Amino acid sequence: MASPRTSEQPPPHIDPTQAPVAFGSWAIPRLLLELQDAERFTRQRALAALCDLVHDHERAYDAILSGCMERLKVLLQDEDDLVRVKTTEVLYVLASHSLGRDAFLKLDIVGPLTSLIEDPVNACRKNVHQALNRIAEFPSGAVFMVSMGLVPKLVLKVSDEEESIRALILSTLSCCVSVNALPALESDAVPVLRDQLSHPSPAIRRAASSALVGISVPADGKMKVCEEHLLPILVKLLADDDRGVVANAAGTIMNTAVITKGKSEALDAGAIAPLLQLVVSENTAVCVNALRALTVLAEVPRARAQLLEHVPLLKTRRTHPNTIIQRAASTAIEVISWRP
Amino acid sequence: MASSLQTQHETQSGVYTFSSRPRAVPNRPKYRQSAPLLNEEQSSYGNIMYDRRVVRGNTYAQPILPITSQPDPVEFLKQQEARKRALSRKRLKEQFGPKTPEPLEGRMNIDVQTEMYLEELSDHIEDVSVECQTDMFLDKPATPLFIPAKTGRDAATQIEEGELFDFDVEVQPVLQVLVGKTIEQALLEVLEEEELASLRNQQQVFREIRDAELVEVQRLEERERRLRVEKENRIKQQKAVLEEEKETADKIAARAFAQQYLSDLLPSVYSNLKDCGYFYDPVQRDIETGFLPWLMEEVTSTLEQRYVARTVLDMLIQDVTNQRLEAFQMKE
Repeated sequence: MASPRTSEQPPPHIDPTQAPVAFGSWAIPRLLLELQDAERFTRQRALAALCDLVHDHERAYDAILSGCMERLKVLLQDEDDLVRVKTTEVLYVLASHSLGRDAFLKLDIVGPLTSLIEDPVNACRKNVHQALNRIAEFPSGAVFMVSMGLVPKLVLKVSDEEESIRALILSTLSCCVSVNALPALESDAVPVLRDQLSHPSPAIRRAASSALVGISVPADGKMKVCEEHLLPILVKLLADDDRGVVANAAGTIMNTAVITKGKSEALDAGAIAPLLQLVVSENTAVCVNALRALTVLAEVPRARAQLLEHVPLLKTRRTHPNTIIQRAASTAIEVISWRP
Repeated sequence: MASSLQTQHETQSGVYTFSSRPRAVPNRPKYRQSAPLLNEEQSSYGNIMYDRRVVRGNTYAQPILPITSQPDPVEFLKQQEARKRALSRKRLKEQFGPKTPEPLEGRMNIDVQTEMYLEELSDHIEDVSVECQTDMFLDKPATPLFIPAKTGRDAATQIEEGELFDFDVEVQPVLQVLVGKTIEQALLEVLEEEELASLRNQQQVFREIRDAELVEVQRLEERERRLRVEKENRIKQQKAVLEEEKETADKIAARAFAQQYLSDLLPSVYSNLKDCGYFYDPVQRDIETGFLPWLMEEVTSTLEQRYVARTVLDMLIQDVTNQRLEAFQMKE
């Protein structure tokens, strides 16, 4: 029954798995103090509470500015599993803010995080990969990770992990590869990626094919792709259901076909017909990549002869509102109609 | 139990003084306590206003007992006088007050009751002996509930259900907070995800453009490279052809010149050789190289022999002459 006097008891502690959160601006500093506690239970509860609080932007900035990153870095090497899982989760959430990412790079938290890749706990590994994925998604993070030599480790891990984590690793790889593809090439990523291309899960296929796009940018990559006979598989993927996979496959074909060997192999695999079908697709990426692939392939005389019949189709694409598609269509028509 | 802190002013040595800290005067309870109080401080303190031991009324005109037991002589005289005055007043009252007249002879004054109802006056007081014995010390009975006398008007009020506490109204703020907090947290997380999704979208768009442009650049680069290589090859070929032609022309010219130069080489060579003596008649050579030296050798040897013979002869002659000389000399 409500009475006008406030009770002298402290407010009811609803969730016993979380530490009680202090009011106002004392919440985060108090939780940080509790994180340094020697008692394991206190640390777990403090981490659980911090995890929930940090979704709020202001609290997250508060936490970063009051130096919780150093504490979390120390806690990454804690023996208790739950502590590590929660720490990685907090780091994952903090990585979505630019200040957090700066702190990641400045304090070199990526190092201890990568050593946790071999952690036995699944949830911990998943959070680690999610955090690494977030960091790799922005440019200086990807540069840092490549310079730290993370790519070979990730390539090794691709085949070992389970599905959901594999998709994360592959997308991290594709971000790193778009920065600098050479370490991935040196660690034999192309065969690994080829195996992943035939995986039933579309997310994995998409990530693997986007990594391939990045790898096929330098010349060595193109040679490797040709050597591993990836072009038939890619042509098959052009008929895939997932639009992302199709766009990436077309992108890889267009990258590889720049070298002569790639052109001949692509033509042997019969890439022109599917690409022509993709030109009319609504998805911008698919359309552009298909147009560019056709442009590259049109440098070969026999392909040019084949494509001359489809020039009207490409002309329709020239009137598309998107400028890239317009440009791509006009270059394609130009190349196809070129006579020596 | 309590005494003030004042000590006796005429303290002589050996006079008993007692002093203790001031304490509140405890109330002496009417009934005995069920358990003896251990701590005297916890004994109930009565209100000092209701303590019978406290002097009431004004204290400035009360007869104050002297501190000393010996009466003050002045006081004593005053009291004596007061007593005398009282006595005199009493005597005066006796003198001038109405008195019953003296009885006649042979009669006595007796008291007679003149009231309506007669009363038996006797010394014997009717008494009924009634025994009363208090029980052994009883425990203090439970204080009866103090129910003050009812004053004022009775008024009744009844609170209907829902008047004081309306659940639907009261629960709203609580629910608002609960639901609000949950939704706020969820919104934050969704906002995060959306922000990231929009960032990723932007990245995706950029990446598409970048990939397309990259491939365009690479294609053009490749094309340029191919064309350049092709061109270079052609140029090289052309150059090679030219080189070859030039070489052949040179060769032909050189050959012609050489032929012409060398045409009269052969006779001059022959004549040179002949001059140098390379063409010789073998018989003549043989004679020259073989026979003649031998001949010379023989001649030389013959001549030498002859010389040798002459020398020997000379020596002989010399010897003989010497001997002859010596012989002649000896003979002298």
